[in-house]
Amino acid sequence: MTGPRGNSTGGASDASPAILFDNVSRTFTTAGRRAAVPAIRDLSFTVEPATFVALLGPSGCGKTTILRIVDGLLQGDTGRVEVFGAPPKPGPDIGFVFQNFRLIPWANVQDNVEFGLKSMPLTRAERRERADHHLELVGLSTFRHAYPGELSGGMKQRVALARALATEPGILLMDEPFASIDAHTRELMQIELMRIWTVRRPVVLFVTHSVDEAIILADRIMLLSPRPARVIESFDVELERPRWTYDARAEPRYVELRSYLSDRMRELVVSDPASEFFGRDLVPPRGR
Amino acid sequence: MMIGVYRIGFLALLMVLWVVAADQFGRNIVPTPLATFEAAQRLIAEGRLQSAFRASLTVYLSGYALAVICAIPLGVLMGGFRVLGKTLEVYVFALSATPRVAFIPLIIVILGLGADAKIFIIFLGTLLPILINTYSGVMAVDEELVEMARSAGASQRRIFLSIVLPNAAPFVVTGMRLGAAIGLINTVVAELYTAVSGLGGLLAIYGNSFRMAEYFVVVICLAIIGVVVTEALRHVEARLVRWRGAT
Repeated sequence: MTGPRGNSTGGASDASPAILFDNVSRTFTTAGRRAAVPAIRDLSFTVEPATFVALLGPSGCGKTTILRIVDGLLQGDTGRVEVFGAPPKPGPDIGFVFQNFRLIPWANVQDNVEFGLKSMPLTRAERRERADHHLELVGLSTFRHAYPGELSGGMKQRVALARALATEPGILLMDEPFASIDAHTRELMQIELMRIWTVRRPVVLFVTHSVDEAIILADRIMLLSPRPARVIESFDVELERPRWTYDARAEPRYVELRSYLSDRMRELVVSDPASEFFGRDLVPPRGR
Repeated sequence: MMIGVYRIGFLALLMVLWVVAADQFGRNIVPTPLATFEAAQRLIAEGRLQSAFRASLTVYLSGYALAVICAIPLGVLMGGFRVLGKTLEVYVFALSATPRVAFIPLIIVILGLGADAKIFIIFLGTLLPILINTYSGVMAVDEELVEMARSAGASQRRIFLSIVLPNAAPFVVTGMRLGAAIGLINTVVAELYTAVSGLGGLLAIYGNSFRMAEYFVVVICLAIIGVVVTEALRHVEARLVRWRGAT
């Protein structure tokens, strides 16, 4: 299943992190509002190569901004950002999977998957071969001539995943990719993602507000505060991989982590003055 | 399937109404279908219908082609360069709100009564719907798709060619379809107001001399041109948004 392809996380030595954020801040001035809204403030973290990181936080806490900065689509106002030791630049070495798929509606599945490959020095045949390989990986080979409008939500997201994976990026950014997919399909997609991830291990930054999704997928969970986003706590998830071969949710470690994170998430929301749930008594008493 | 039957049924109803109207108003005002058919045969035998048809079609298609050639690049430029678009759009909208037949006396003074003037009148009517639709098509680009393309490392040029333009294409064809309908109106108007010629000319001649059967033949000819052109463009439009079908 691995194939002859090498691991393209390369370039960086083992000592340097894949992603480095050093005191990064970013504010937005929205039309209509006088004051600038800070999305992230003094954010610092590092991500080691071949690590699956979940960015867990309440909705609208600036998580997407973090991904866009890592991709080089957006610059921080202050601070230093490095991806494999250099300032980030959008391109084939960073894949982005968006929550709303963002497939080109007038292009068929094959052309959508080849989209990112066209930024690489590949021949038509090589592009085709890579697209085929990744369509097979997500199980959509038979749909290569279909248009996005003909696919279900889960299938669309698999096409978007194949598109992001096809360039064999060193970093894969995923912005709540399964949030708009029904619960049953979501679970299958999570297993699918874990299976694909074991083939080639790019760094993954996976944004989610689902505690379960973070625990089941990630090596490390970074818990983020509401706007402006800061890393409040960081956990290693010590559950054995592959996690789809046993019932990880029944593990004591899982149950413990889940209960802790859920409480922390709720605390964050009720103590956030900008939240509609601010000050409400929704957190169970600790230590009973 | 059934709709085709209903449509033929409605056509039969129209024919009946036509016969009734011919009977009620008198045959000198509304000719019977048969008289109209005979007039058509006569006009074709004389060759007058063909030459008028050719003359009208020539000025119509010339003016229309000229408008397409000018309007699409200009619309793309206005949409692509926001400053240019913002600068020009007020004037484009103002011109589009002006009844352009008002310019006909001026056009006659400058270009005379010949084919140039006719082509320009058609051009002026057709230009704006194509221009405005192209412009809004380029601006209606999905910013999220553009961000996706940027993230994939696509150059500005490639984003324009692979995202912006394909997105604008159905808008352009809609503009062309609206333009084609207005262009045909302006063809008749031009032929009535400048040197009398073509199908518009025949309308004037037969209308003024109460040869209503011949007059009806010309009206039907114009309807056929309009239907053929706009249906062809509607077909192109449908093909361009084929992918939308299943959504």
